[in-house]
Amino acid sequence: MERREEMSLENLILLTGRTINQGVALEGGKTTKENVRAAAICTFDHEDFKKLDIISGTPVKVSTDFGEVIVYSTISEEGPHPGIIFIPMGPWANQVVNPDSQSCGTPTYKGMKAKVQVVKDGKVLGALELIKTLIEV
Amino acid sequence: MAVRKIKTVYDVVCPFCGTLCDDLEVDVVDNKITEVRNGCQIGTKKFFASNPSEHRYKTPLIKVNGSFKEASWDEALDKAADILVKAKRPLLYGFSSTECEAQSKGVELAEILGAILDNTASVCHGPTILAEQDVGVPTSTLGEYKNRADLVIFWGCNPVHAHPRHLSRYSEFVRGYFRKDGRNDRFIVVIDPRNTHTAQIADLFIQVNPSEDYGLLNAIRAILRGVELDEKEVAGVSMENIKELADKVKSCNFGVIFFGMGLTQSLAHHRNIDAAICLTRELNDHTKFLITPMRGHYNVTGANQVFTWITGYPFSIDFSRGYPRYNPGEFSSVELLLKDQVDASLMVSTDPASNFPAASVKNMFKHPLIAIEPHETPTSVNADIILPPAYAGIECEGTAYRMDSIPLRLRKVKDAPNGLLTDREILERLIEKVKEKKGE
Amino acid sequence: MTQVKLKLKKQPNVPLEAESITPDNFAGKNINEIKGLIVYHGKEKEKIGDYFDVSGESSEINDLKIIIEGDLSNIKRIGEKMTSGEIIINGNVGMHVGNQMGGGKILINGNADDWAGAMLKGGELEITGDAGNYIGSAYRGYWKGMENGLIKVKGKVGHESMLWARSSKGAKKFPMLICGGAASFLGIHNHGGTIIVEGDVDRCAGADQAWGTIVIKGKVSRKLPSFKKMGEINEITLPNGDVIKGKFIEYSGDHATKKETNGRLYIAA
Repeated sequence: MERREEMSLENLILLTGRTINQGVALEGGKTTKENVRAAAICTFDHEDFKKLDIISGTPVKVSTDFGEVIVYSTISEEGPHPGIIFIPMGPWANQVVNPDSQSCGTPTYKGMKAKVQVVKDGKVLGALELIKTLIEV
Repeated sequence: MAVRKIKTVYDVVCPFCGTLCDDLEVDVVDNKITEVRNGCQIGTKKFFASNPSEHRYKTPLIKVNGSFKEASWDEALDKAADILVKAKRPLLYGFSSTECEAQSKGVELAEILGAILDNTASVCHGPTILAEQDVGVPTSTLGEYKNRADLVIFWGCNPVHAHPRHLSRYSEFVRGYFRKDGRNDRFIVVIDPRNTHTAQIADLFIQVNPSEDYGLLNAIRAILRGVELDEKEVAGVSMENIKELADKVKSCNFGVIFFGMGLTQSLAHHRNIDAAICLTRELNDHTKFLITPMRGHYNVTGANQVFTWITGYPFSIDFSRGYPRYNPGEFSSVELLLKDQVDASLMVSTDPASNFPAASVKNMFKHPLIAIEPHETPTSVNADIILPPAYAGIECEGTAYRMDSIPLRLRKVKDAPNGLLTDREILERLIEKVKEKKGE
Repeated sequence: MTQVKLKLKKQPNVPLEAESITPDNFAGKNINEIKGLIVYHGKEKEKIGDYFDVSGESSEINDLKIIIEGDLSNIKRIGEKMTSGEIIINGNVGMHVGNQMGGGKILINGNADDWAGAMLKGGELEITGDAGNYIGSAYRGYWKGMENGLIKVKGKVGHESMLWARSSKGAKKFPMLICGGAASFLGIHNHGGTIIVEGDVDRCAGADQAWGTIVIKGKVSRKLPSFKKMGEINEITLPNGDVIKGKFIEYSGDHATKKETNGRLYIAA
């Protein structure tokens, strides 16, 4: 299990998926603050989070080969999962997922190599602001 | 003081996830939902969100010089039809959060337009369908599992979060005819890279390395055939643990695998499902075993059913030749948008701006965009035309298919505000407009 | 040999489907008739002449060579179901090139997109660049992919190449793929196809192989656990009688589908 030995915050694997908070928030309104709190968040393994030396809620920049996004950080309730980070499905996660489907149609939403950088003064964008950055003028 | 008149609707079907719980009780006062009983957190929220709010659209909107202006239905539909008729390769996408009657109208519209027709299976359980088409599928209804299953595997899914009442209605805690003691009569296995909340209440949790499920499935299949493997460890799981699992699945009376996005959205996609189905089939040499996908949207199964019974294909359908053709990866929405191969899109009850990878969203916004959407979403806000419908399953009746392909009748609990049209009516009127413009 | 030359003069806005470009369709037609053949641009029917300058002269099919110039990466289905003659493409080409072809030859001096040579029934397809996913594969839901013929790719092939290949010893049909490298799931569900890879291969090569031969002269990023090592050998005899020399480790499999199998995977030692 190489990933557990060579642990570093530059060598993480990003998973995405449904959480109940994200589900509740999006049904309540996709453009709301609740949705930001529920889906613009990256959860870490307890030990990994210690290495970052920050308090829960500090913004972090998650980068993959496919993009980067600034989200809040916190400790996972579904650990331990050393080397794995998790962002709930939604616009934030989708800035950094792998759009390639190997021609089956379904993008690879899970299992991207990722790195995480603490950006204490980073701004976590709302859903609308974030999507606006994708519109070419 | 006037007496508040509470109307209670019983046996309401919840239009959130594929579990399609059909035991909700909803109280309505003055056409507003005031109480939902039996629903999960998410489903309950959905009912309340249908009440009028600042996030809910009240009339059709057309974008003029960058800002929305209110429009009549006729004007908005006319403009929408214009966009669709002019496009060389329009995309019609969504359809999973609406009733089957509207879905069938979507197929009709796509055929008239020569458009590409796709539903959200294309980004969730599309790989499941591909695998089923390749190797078939031994499956059953949720009631069978509830009454008979004594071994339940959740592979790459987390129902505590995604299908909150699945465990209590069908798969874990519920008492069944042959499983009188509920949870104690079932052995629960969770296979996932994370120790999910579902895993935390399981009897056996197997932590597999991300994206390596195929290797694990492959190893179990070989072991079940009595082959001694060279490896000591597969996908981060030790050979002893794999053998223990193989013994466990062989020796149960009635087993079932529920699987989710963990298999379909990670590398190997449909091949994970291919292997999982083959494993299930092969387990029937030893005992009874079945497999069922945990479908997400409440009527995505219905979308596959309706599209299939009309066109022969469940999703990713191209009508540009006048007859349906099928090829995910070629005619699926994300790929088409990534390659910038559509020149207009109609999004029906869906929010691709939130749900598609950023690179494809970028291209979607380059071309005219029409949204049939009750709520403010990142997609609708950036659309050119918004056509707000009544909430399917709350404000109009219709049919929906549960994750095990059982059709259930959605109930109407209240009227749509402002006399909003249903998805079906909007599509019907759009079809008329398109026919007019094409001179048919 | 007579030649018909097509030169791309404008790029389509959305993919163009040009299954009319085959020696079968061109044979016996004059240049004006060829210009008038239908291509599909989105939902609109247009003509070959709208997109290509056409020159040269046509003849009987066996004696006909079609040469196409330009970046055809947005043009699909060239050479579909062709039975004879020759197509040379100087440039990249879009999906489904040469799918279901039964005879003749296609040479692509460039890259090919997905589904090149899908369900090939005979003939030869050569690609000097890279190929996309599903090269020589079965279309969705088919259990019979490539049945005969040869595909040669100088560069890498994509995922799930040569899916559901089917050979027939009795009918002397030996479908074969030779490539420079391959992505994941090479030769999945193989039923007798022969695959030779000059370079490296990604995960899960030979998954669910019932029988057949896969030879990898480079490295494999991760071998499936259900392949069992049999030993080292110095030469491999392919089903069509050819011999490959070199030191290989021989594996049997895929044991996920069969306990006893004559499916073989050879990886350079």
